[in-house]
Amino acid sequence: MPEKTIGTGSNDIPVIQLKHVDKHFGSLHVLKDISLSVKKGEVVVIIGPSGSGKSTLCRTINRLETIDSGEILIEGVKMPQEGKELARLRAQIGMVFQSFNLFAHKTIIDNVILGPMDVLHKSRKEAKEEAMQLLKRVGVDSQAEKVPAQLSGGQQQRVAIARSLAMHPKAILFDEPTSALDPEMIGEVLDVMTELAREGMTMLVVTHEMNFARRVASRVIFMDGGSIIEENTPDEFFSHPKSQRAQDFLNSIKDH
Amino acid sequence: MRDKRTSVKDALFEPPGPKTQKIIWAVTALSLAALAALIVVVVRRFYETGQLDSKYWSIFTKWTTWKFLGKGLLGTLEAAVVAGIVTFAVGFILMVLRISGSIIASAVSTALIEFTRGVPTLLFIYFFFLVVPKFGVKLPAFWKICLPVSISACGVVAEVLRSGVNAVPKGQKEAAQSLGMMPHSVFLKVVFPQAFRFVVPALISELVIVVKDTTFAYVVNFPDLMQNAKVLISNYDALLSVYLVVAVIYIVINWLLNRASVAAAHRTGK
Repeated sequence: MPEKTIGTGSNDIPVIQLKHVDKHFGSLHVLKDISLSVKKGEVVVIIGPSGSGKSTLCRTINRLETIDSGEILIEGVKMPQEGKELARLRAQIGMVFQSFNLFAHKTIIDNVILGPMDVLHKSRKEAKEEAMQLLKRVGVDSQAEKVPAQLSGGQQQRVAIARSLAMHPKAILFDEPTSALDPEMIGEVLDVMTELAREGMTMLVVTHEMNFARRVASRVIFMDGGSIIEENTPDEFFSHPKSQRAQDFLNSIKDH
Repeated sequence: MRDKRTSVKDALFEPPGPKTQKIIWAVTALSLAALAALIVVVVRRFYETGQLDSKYWSIFTKWTTWKFLGKGLLGTLEAAVVAGIVTFAVGFILMVLRISGSIIASAVSTALIEFTRGVPTLLFIYFFFLVVPKFGVKLPAFWKICLPVSISACGVVAEVLRSGVNAVPKGQKEAAQSLGMMPHSVFLKVVFPQAFRFVVPALISELVIVVKDTTFAYVVNFPDLMQNAKVLISNYDALLSVYLVVAVIYIVINWLLNRASVAAAHRTGK
């Protein structure tokens, strides 16, 4: 991914920054002293074996998981713990889930306009116009009046991406966005994500799709056992992994 | 919106084989014969004791009888609708308190739910009929029936609603939170509407109980269907005929409620 420099000034402050973040699930130490930052326009891909803490890390950034210690900053502002301030910051960070999580009782178009209407206080008409453009962009505009259960997994995930784009987020978190998809639908979702990355969206992506990481990532972060083991450009990481654990991991997935 | 509907029957039983089919036929025939015999015995007993005499049934040819029963029916419907609304409102509040983060609110709500579920409706009615007036509170008969019936049902409704809320997948809440929605918006716009759809059938069952509980209106002299039926009975000495007709009316009301619940469940795509 080439360097993207859209706008100036705020480029120095990372959109997402974690400083010495620790988290336990009971006696399990799931995040160990995690520090990382995602600059504007960067696509940071987190890979690693299951149970390495990737998803948890992703979910702490908009406080779907709390942290025990450390700091999470969004454009230099510390993530608040509750209330209006937390909601305001969450609205600036989009999230795409493994299981889509489209609102099951709402039509596709209503899924996309709920956030803009409820949080950004847009009129239904305005929200709808923009939502239709977004649905068109991800290729599901013809399904606007259906409910999520009538769509394929790939279509649902593309709607989920449109839903988070409708909030004009500063960055989008992708928590294993293709892991629940049938193989033939993975491509269509990755295509949308690749397109977003090209347009300069700041993204943090937890995934098992190594080809996506290779092609699209500005940086690859390898996690294992709750720690960041290695951080590098995709070329360097995939061709010359430095740590033994990264080498083992890459070898283990190569066999398939 | 699933194309394939699995009925309880499909889930519990496999399709019968030839031998089982024969047994089913035999049992069916036997049951029908037993039922027919029972009906014959009952009708004969009625006939022998004179319950089928035209004097007991001719009152239903009079317009005034139906008008009087109609008035009672209106009273029943009024009480049931108001009690139903109060039940739902109080049940909703109890449910919200119970699932709220506050330990005290949750404990108070849990205690109230257990209390209202455990005490029979008639006891609440006696409370409003006999105890409350002693404190100088004069309630109209209408509220003396509506309030106790609502109190009696609200705990169950609170628990039914809570089971619905618990059945909504966690990801729905997380998706709404991640959009930056405030907690009350998340609950009212995303979680509760789905929870409500899950429990519509159970809520309608509880509404049927509310309708049936309004028959206690005779205790507080509120003119509902049952109370007016009693008046007819004492005026014409027509016990069986009036009770049968009134029973049919209640069955029709509750059958309509059930139809409504099925329609509601269908419409919400389940």
